[in-house]
Amino acid sequence: MKRFFTILICKILRWVGKLVGKGSSLPGKAALKLCPDILSRVKLPPYIIAVTGSNGKTSTVEMIAHLLTKNGKNVAWNKEGSNQIEGVTTLVLSNSTLGGKVKSDILLIESDERFARYTFRYIKPTHYVITNLYRDQLTRNGHPEWVYDALADSIHDGMQLILNADDPLVSHFGYGKKDVLWFGANELPTDTDRNTSVYNDGAYCPHCKQPMTYSTRHYNHIGHYQCTSCGYHRRDTDYTITSVDLDKGEMVIDGKNKITLALRSLYNMYNLLAAYTVGSVVGLDGQKIAEDLSDYVMKNGRVVSFSIGKREGTLLVSKHENSISYDQSMRIAAADKRGCDVMIIVDAISRKYFTGDVSWLWDIDFEMLQNENVHEIILAGTYCNDLAVRFSYTDIPEERIKIFKSIEDAYHYLDSDRSEYIYTITCFSDKGKFLSLL
Amino acid sequence: MKLLHFYYDIMNLYGEYANLLALGRILQKSGIEYTVDKRSFSDEVNLEEYDFIYIGSGTERNRNAVMADMQRYKEALRTFITNDRPILMTGNSFEMLGQSVTDALGSQHEGLGLFHFTVKEQNKVRTTADTIVTADFCDKPLVGFVNKCSQIEGITSPLFDVKMGLGNQENDTKEGFRTHNLFGTHLTGPILIKNPHFLIYLAQLLVGQDKTLCTDYLTYETAAYEVTLSELSTGSRE
Repeated sequence: MKRFFTILICKILRWVGKLVGKGSSLPGKAALKLCPDILSRVKLPPYIIAVTGSNGKTSTVEMIAHLLTKNGKNVAWNKEGSNQIEGVTTLVLSNSTLGGKVKSDILLIESDERFARYTFRYIKPTHYVITNLYRDQLTRNGHPEWVYDALADSIHDGMQLILNADDPLVSHFGYGKKDVLWFGANELPTDTDRNTSVYNDGAYCPHCKQPMTYSTRHYNHIGHYQCTSCGYHRRDTDYTITSVDLDKGEMVIDGKNKITLALRSLYNMYNLLAAYTVGSVVGLDGQKIAEDLSDYVMKNGRVVSFSIGKREGTLLVSKHENSISYDQSMRIAAADKRGCDVMIIVDAISRKYFTGDVSWLWDIDFEMLQNENVHEIILAGTYCNDLAVRFSYTDIPEERIKIFKSIEDAYHYLDSDRSEYIYTITCFSDKGKFLSLL
Repeated sequence: MKLLHFYYDIMNLYGEYANLLALGRILQKSGIEYTVDKRSFSDEVNLEEYDFIYIGSGTERNRNAVMADMQRYKEALRTFITNDRPILMTGNSFEMLGQSVTDALGSQHEGLGLFHFTVKEQNKVRTTADTIVTADFCDKPLVGFVNKCSQIEGITSPLFDVKMGLGNQENDTKEGFRTHNLFGTHLTGPILIKNPHFLIYLAQLLVGQDKTLCTDYLTYETAAYEVTLSELSTGSRE
């Protein structure tokens, strides 16, 4: 009876919430209050696929949902990205019958790294994808090893782990385990043989803390690593990016299945590979998956085209307090041979909590904007002075940098006769302030 | 002038390498020749050669690995400190100087034993905060961010007074550790970039009081500091 009412109330709150445009975590929160173990009282579908990691989980989940739905599966997933236990509870209960049976074939859960250990106490994923562990929101996450320890508590026996073999810290979840599925990329044309990032989180082995070496690096600490002491090394992969042609915008998986790319970034390719892997695991044909993922344009609003006067541009939503996210966005701008101006906005560091910490700016490789494709650089927002200081420690000439405290002033500056394409790089917390000016 | 960035490749969790950039720039602008040496586990370092040592923060496991490795420098470090040479340690690095670190699993790791304090860590809740502190040697407060999981017991000569944020222990209004010209603080990241007045103070200590430093280039640094101080004072109350 308690279960019945809890589900009913959750469904009503969800329905009302949708009408008034409220977020999706409140109904779950109410349900958990009424019945704290409600998640263990529902009958779950045979496939429970969870995705976690620092970056790319929302995009990966969206791609998996797209792929599975297109292939006739009935998928329940947290579309709004409410990825803490309340959001997951809303997802599960609003997709179940009043009798407590989840109606979908597949439950697809995006989970916050720090909260997975609470969520998965009740709902144990059958398949658990971990994308990467980066320096991400360290003001609340501490550091990647801290998140590693939190995630380790969410892994239980019987879960099929699906791990990024190219990330040494993520791979360590599979240490000594059989029955792990590995995905990763072979050596790529854009690889380097040494670390080109500002910092090196792959310097030491996550297992024994002795030095690691890389035979090839895709970016930052992602690549083919081996420990010089204990033998810990990158595992052979089950699902593999075997070749990439960024100019043509193509990648090939397992030497045969070609995916054409809507967004030409390595970042996007890993998300596609993770989605491909999950598609294969649930029994879809590789060639069909590649077709269905080809030219897939994300609907989660993280890449937005815009125009200002006569000028065209793209907003690349990146994460503040996440240097790899910034690096990836800047890599896209730096590779644009048409020539571009780049605008960076740091106004509110987070939309969820307050912090004034800008240490993370020093982990971003802004030096990569010292490139013939990038012309002017526009820095805007409350923390424009911090950005200006950071840029003063790159080789980028001062005269190419324009600084505006007001985002609106920066916007008016961009509305000019310049012909350069514009890339605006900022976070969820600040993107609305820019988009509302258009 | 020889600056040592010690354990640069593992104790650099929050963009802390930039502290050396800040020092390097003020020395260069002031016409003082300097080098920054980056050294780590595989090096054999003669501390005596240096005018300044910097160590940043690391993950708890990395810091413990460094602490074990640093036992070989214990006496050299003691001499360095008692000779009044400046050392800056940010984040959890200064915790190494105490008697011991007890980790979240209860294992005790031997500290360098140069001072009497002890450190205890836990692994469930991270204690983090935007922080404002003051010190008798700086006319303006310092801003920064503390990101830790430890409590430190037994510090008798703290570095800062906490105006906002976290101290050495729960409800403690004192933060960090100071003796001679050793500055240990749980503030993380590029604190010399964020606090240009502290940079000037430290640089002056390095070059001697009779030398005039060039500081007029610090315009954006100063503006950034003022914004952060005001944001912390208002934003955190919202």
